[in-house]
Amino acid sequence: MNVFLFSWSAGILGVAAVLVLGRLVGGPTIPDRVVALDTMNTLAVAIMILLAVVYDSVVMVDVAVVYAALSFVTTLFIARHLEGGTGR
Amino acid sequence: MPQNDLVHGAVLVLIVVAGFFAIWFRDLLSSIISLSAVSLLLAVEFYILQAPDVAIAEAAIGAGLSTAIYIVALRGCRKAPSGGSLSPEEATPEPGKEEPKP
Repeated sequence: MNVFLFSWSAGILGVAAVLVLGRLVGGPTIPDRVVALDTMNTLAVAIMILLAVVYDSVVMVDVAVVYAALSFVTTLFIARHLEGGTGR
Repeated sequence: MPQNDLVHGAVLVLIVVAGFFAIWFRDLLSSIISLSAVSLLLAVEFYILQAPDVAIAEAAIGAGLSTAIYIVALRGCRKAPSGGSLSPEEATPEPGKEEPKP
């Protein structure tokens, strides 16, 4: 019962990621696309943790932790490039 | 499980759409962002196929290192002396100028 609940919520978050990708490909400006990518990163981490509950394995939480740390670095690099890059 | 198929379908459609737009954008920074989205969705797909170690490698290399290296390379390209026509705004007015000459 609980597994079905978590699995359906992961599917709904997948549909939400489809809607966010519409903003990523159709955003008028670059910051729109960066914010859409950051939202997709957060949705992916949420989907990974929900599916770790569904698959009942603790190892899969590590993937979500590693991805949450590295997507932050990626967004930080894009933001520094947008700002103008004062110094390297 | 129908809900697992729903997640599969959503992720695969997203991979194809983001990969198409990564080569369709004229702006290079938008293309890098779309390529990062492809890498993210590929990590999610490896995860759904229950290969967590491959997903960790894809998340670390594809989403973390590769996007940062592309951003550094793009910044290096824009600092280069003007000679190549990287931006489409510079390339498009030139044929209009050359046409009235003869």
